[in-house]
Amino acid sequence: MEHAYFKQTQLGPLLETLRLFGELHGPVLSEAGVASFAALDDLGALRLDYGKTRIPPKKYLFPFREELLQYRDGIYRQSPLDPPNIVLFGVHPCDLAAIAYLDRVFLAERPEPAYALRRERLTLVGVSCEPDDFCFCSQPQEGGACDLFLAPRKDGFQLAFAGAKGAALAEAARGLLSEARPEGEMSAPFRAIPAQDPQLRFSDHPLWQKFALTCVSCGACSVCCPTCYCFDLREYPSLDGGGTRLREWDNCLFATHGEVAGANFRASRLDRLRYRFLHKYCGFSPLEGMSSCVGCGRCKEVCPVDIDLRELCGGPDAAAAVPPAPLRPAS
Amino acid sequence: MNRTTFDPHTPFAATLLDRRSLSEDTALFSVLAEPAAVEPLARFLPGQFLQLSVPGAGEIPISPADLPSADGTLQLCVRRVGHVTEHLHRAEIGCKLGVRGPFGVGFPVEEMTGRPVLLLAGGLGIAPLRSLICYLLRQPERFGEITLMYGAKQPQLMLFREELSVLAAQGRLRLYLTVDFAPQQPTGDFSCAVGLLPELLQGFVFDAQRSYVAVCGPPPLYRCLMDELLGAGVAAERILLSLERRMRCGIGRCCHCALGQKLCCIDGPVFRLSELQRIPEAL
Repeated sequence: MEHAYFKQTQLGPLLETLRLFGELHGPVLSEAGVASFAALDDLGALRLDYGKTRIPPKKYLFPFREELLQYRDGIYRQSPLDPPNIVLFGVHPCDLAAIAYLDRVFLAERPEPAYALRRERLTLVGVSCEPDDFCFCSQPQEGGACDLFLAPRKDGFQLAFAGAKGAALAEAARGLLSEARPEGEMSAPFRAIPAQDPQLRFSDHPLWQKFALTCVSCGACSVCCPTCYCFDLREYPSLDGGGTRLREWDNCLFATHGEVAGANFRASRLDRLRYRFLHKYCGFSPLEGMSSCVGCGRCKEVCPVDIDLRELCGGPDAAAAVPPAPLRPAS
Repeated sequence: MNRTTFDPHTPFAATLLDRRSLSEDTALFSVLAEPAAVEPLARFLPGQFLQLSVPGAGEIPISPADLPSADGTLQLCVRRVGHVTEHLHRAEIGCKLGVRGPFGVGFPVEEMTGRPVLLLAGGLGIAPLRSLICYLLRQPERFGEITLMYGAKQPQLMLFREELSVLAAQGRLRLYLTVDFAPQQPTGDFSCAVGLLPELLQGFVFDAQRSYVAVCGPPPLYRCLMDELLGAGVAAERILLSLERRMRCGIGRCCHCALGQKLCCIDGPVFRLSELQRIPEAL
């Protein structure tokens, strides 16, 4: 990894340089004041002081709805996919950690073709953040798994880059950069809440009942979570006899999530909250023993009834419970 | 650039060859998969599952009722109970279907070599166990004595009863049948014991120290059989349960089929009781 420095006044030219590598996207504010990642056709729309976007950057790798297959005359074929090259600018370290987690889910064993192609064409430019009222990672991180990382310094930015993509970006922007002293390595993905004891979900903690009674199954916590990736496969026939199979985000808070014909394995809200706790803080095979919470605080911010599953882990300040179990080696 | 060649989501083409009604709502479907599917299907082990697509309706996990034949013909025993199965039951012979798989962990047949095998089936649970029976019967010298205990609600709902009776008459397996209710039947009609499977098991003498026990049925069946089996002295490692969950992707990603931290599609659907004892929501 290498470092460089550039002046505040060079931010515009730097962004224009990044455009050479793909569509430039970054945080913008909607008319209603909601932050989101969107195309930066106008650089003036960029808001580097955004707190966090409502929908996390997972949408670039794992779209809400995506056509996987087409069928005609009863024969299924893979839908063509040719995503654009995208440079996503201004991603905070927690969201970078979330993407690193999703990479493990979709790329570690038998890589998912659509995800792999989108990932290959996504360039990530991270930027350091200021904590807000909801997020809870231990401290603001100055780094993350990305190609380029920017940290504000006096009158400019310290820029770190890694890997072939990062080197190519830095090379293209060479005229804008000046030498900088190295400031340590980009930190590895972190977990805001360490892996929890799976037996905790059957504890007689009174909070379980309280949460089950107040949860309205809206699913906002899961939609906004940067590491939630449950999906459903749905068939949409068209009138001409053909049709498509789509992959859509699913939601573990919805009653249909555990449904089979004639039964439901997670019929109650308590069952579904316990499932969520288990998936988020304990991990499912093959990521058993791995928490996927990155501390962005979106779930806490969007919950309409103020449920905070972290309270079950001993509260926000006493998150450590058990040391993470060793990960099963990839087979 | 297109996607890479590995594609876990695209089904092989298949054709519906035949439908044989087994009961009011259950039929055995013969499905011929395209030649390209023969090689992956040949790796099928009893207890594994396939994803069957009905174009326009969607996809369902099915555990085949027999081993795939050399030409790629599958025997699928399916009850009409939901959206996709309803479409399958109405499909015309010759129509196109799709098949992916096999997926998951099947019965540990290597480890079962030389051992007596007791199979306990409840209702439609006979379907996955039938593929195990077929496997065992094709190499009878390799395995110990085979016993099947099969319970159904009533005689009309007992699937494959003629072929099972023939196998029993030929001395190839020991067969115990039981029904929950036996309405009055004409003389000469099929008959069997009345009672629940656990009751049948209570009076049964077998080599519990060496036997492997394979169980498949509705969830309440597992709950009431486990104590009986453990009490009889069968080790939890040798009690094999084939579980049902909502497997959508089949490759451990979509997370619908979780049992505790295990995923039914890649860690199962056949589990040892010893694996499930710390997962209260599994049974």
